[in-house]
Amino acid sequence: MADQPTALERFIQGVLPENPVYRQLLGLCPTLAVTNSLTAAVTMAGAVGFVLLCANVIISLIRNLLKPHLRIVVFTLTIATFVTIADRLLAAYLYQMSKTLGPYIPLIIVNCIIICRCEVVASKQGPVAAASDAIGQSLGFGLALASIAVIREILGTGALFGIRVLPTVWPDWVIMGLPPGAFLTFGILLGVVNWFTDRRKAA
Amino acid sequence: MDSATSQITGGFQSNKLVQAWLVLVLAVVFGISLAGVQLVLGPIIEKNKMNETLEKVPELVLGKDLAAKMAGENQVLEITPNHVMVENAGRSKFYSVYEASYQGDRKGWVVKNKGRGYADTIELLVGFSPDFSSITGLFVLDQKETPGLGNKIIFEKWRNQFINAPTDKPLVVVKTGSTRPEEIDAVTGATISSKSVTVLINSVISDLKEPLTAAPNEAGKEDKDNG
Amino acid sequence: MNAIEHTEDVAPVIYVSPSPHLVQTATSTRRMMVDVLIALAPVVAMSLFVFKGYALFQLAVCLAGSLAAELIFVKMRGKPSTLKDCSAIVTGVILAMSLPGTAPWYIGIIAAFVAIGIGKVIFGGLGMNLFNPAMVGRAFVMISFAGALAASGFEDVQSTVDAVSQATPMNAYKMNGVVTPLVSLFLGTTNGSLGETSALACLLGGLYLVIRRTASWEIPVGLLTAVAIIGGLADLMGPADGWTILHHIFGGSVLFGAFFIATDPVTSPLTPKGKLIFGFGTGVLIMTLRLFSGYPEGVMFAVLLMNALTPLINRWMIPKPFGEH
Repeated sequence: MADQPTALERFIQGVLPENPVYRQLLGLCPTLAVTNSLTAAVTMAGAVGFVLLCANVIISLIRNLLKPHLRIVVFTLTIATFVTIADRLLAAYLYQMSKTLGPYIPLIIVNCIIICRCEVVASKQGPVAAASDAIGQSLGFGLALASIAVIREILGTGALFGIRVLPTVWPDWVIMGLPPGAFLTFGILLGVVNWFTDRRKAA
Repeated sequence: MDSATSQITGGFQSNKLVQAWLVLVLAVVFGISLAGVQLVLGPIIEKNKMNETLEKVPELVLGKDLAAKMAGENQVLEITPNHVMVENAGRSKFYSVYEASYQGDRKGWVVKNKGRGYADTIELLVGFSPDFSSITGLFVLDQKETPGLGNKIIFEKWRNQFINAPTDKPLVVVKTGSTRPEEIDAVTGATISSKSVTVLINSVISDLKEPLTAAPNEAGKEDKDNG
Repeated sequence: MNAIEHTEDVAPVIYVSPSPHLVQTATSTRRMMVDVLIALAPVVAMSLFVFKGYALFQLAVCLAGSLAAELIFVKMRGKPSTLKDCSAIVTGVILAMSLPGTAPWYIGIIAAFVAIGIGKVIFGGLGMNLFNPAMVGRAFVMISFAGALAASGFEDVQSTVDAVSQATPMNAYKMNGVVTPLVSLFLGTTNGSLGETSALACLLGGLYLVIRRTASWEIPVGLLTAVAIIGGLADLMGPADGWTILHHIFGGSVLFGAFFIATDPVTSPLTPKGKLIFGFGTGVLIMTLRLFSGYPEGVMFAVLLMNALTPLINRWMIPKPFGEH
């Protein structure tokens, strides 16, 4: 498949040029829901990365056996399996975090990034390209989540990774830790990203 | 793609079940692997759930300093989890009660209770002295009170005023500085959250004081929980 | 010069609004804003009299914040300055009047920047905003700094200013069942947000706005009717604790909200019927929040919720052309 991007291209595209959150606007449910602390955001990105990598590689290995009308079922089955494994792993080894993330770990099953990558890359290209695409996309997803989480956690609690970074006179902006803060931060960051892209194109 | 060509050939291959062989195989494989994961991780997760409560027990019963000292000297409290059923106005209610003892000597009780807060359910652990005469500690397991106001109930500074509160009178929330041991200062601006906590504790006291103190060795109707 | 005129420079836009179609839009925004400022004068005067230094401080902070925010954000959008249309001043004053005097300085500044930035400029400037800017700013700080802006934050027992050392009438009633005498509610010698305490000052300013037609009478009438009906029912059905319909109307920020906040022409419906519905809905929400929520007062959230419904009300209330069935 000569017209498909190479593994390296897939990787680079996933991080910034085709960033899942800022460019494709996919996976917004966790983006908005778990970004009130950087720890939660990083864990979430890690879980998504694990599921995406496993699902992409498996789908890529069986891509020649897929029937077009049954492929979505196979995707979902694979994704659901790895999400369950991720959920159990978190509950076993990061119990407090799995309580914090609550339903958002099981909800990775319906995260569009993963099914999108399965469809776009894994069902068409080999496991190496699929794996590097998965890593690139999860890196991009992680960066996007972290960028929102840094702003929300610092403004909302004056801390980063739960460690106080601002002086105690800082009045915590509680709203930044609540859903409105997520929408405001994401909206403004998205605007900034678009503004930069426009300026680059114009230059 | 070759899968597309095989679809048109009809006959045996057009049978829906046969077409779905991949799905079926995957389902079986994934199912088996998930069962394996559950077999390995299940006990660990169960232990995590138990520990969440159990690891708070020494601090709630003995106080922070003594609990730290005991842990430092590698002494471990024996914790026996029970379920106590209380009949109250025709309705029965179950409490999870943890009896803490050291070398056969009872050191205190910890009771889990949950109920309505201001925003959502509050779940807490209350520690009591061995004779149930005073409160020895309070810990909030779960709450979703207003950030910045009601969620201050989780802070040690607020919780510590419950320590040594007597159980012979119900706890009362006051707004202007408590003067008596059964009086609890409300969190500023969150009277409802503060009241919810005291209501939960008061109901524990009124429901459990008698059954737990009446039978010194047999805590009411109990059925052992083998956690 | 106002925002609407500048957008016309860029692309031709057709503005749909009920008659009369006045051509002099450039001056009318400013005239309206100056009218609102005149109407706010008694409220401001009363707050200065009751809260003294607190009110002066809060006014200075909010005005400085609003003007700075307007200047910065309009510049960021690359548009000529819109300071002269006075809308930022109005937002600043209303914001200051809706805050407690005891609020620390950063609350006013943050509220002003959120009000102008997120409440107004992000939507495209004056005339394009969905929500009342001052209330967007206030809601932001209200949720962020719950400690300073919840009922308990209004009180400062050590204060030398009488009003500030008391509990707010709404909270005293909600938490302890204490009923403030009607006379103090009417004159405004109680604690509360700076501009809301004096029913008299709000009525004076409000009547001026209605007579000048700067504010339409339908919104205050609808709002006060709803508050009176539900307040009356609550009084009849509830315990006889002395909190009457008049307490419901004069207490809290119902009058200030009815005349100065809900009447914002940008964020309220266009047609008279729509305005009545808008006002009535706001009143119902105020009373619902007062009676059933944890907050003692609900004007801010009620206005914001009804702002969100304004486009819908506008759609329902399109006037039928004469002769159409």
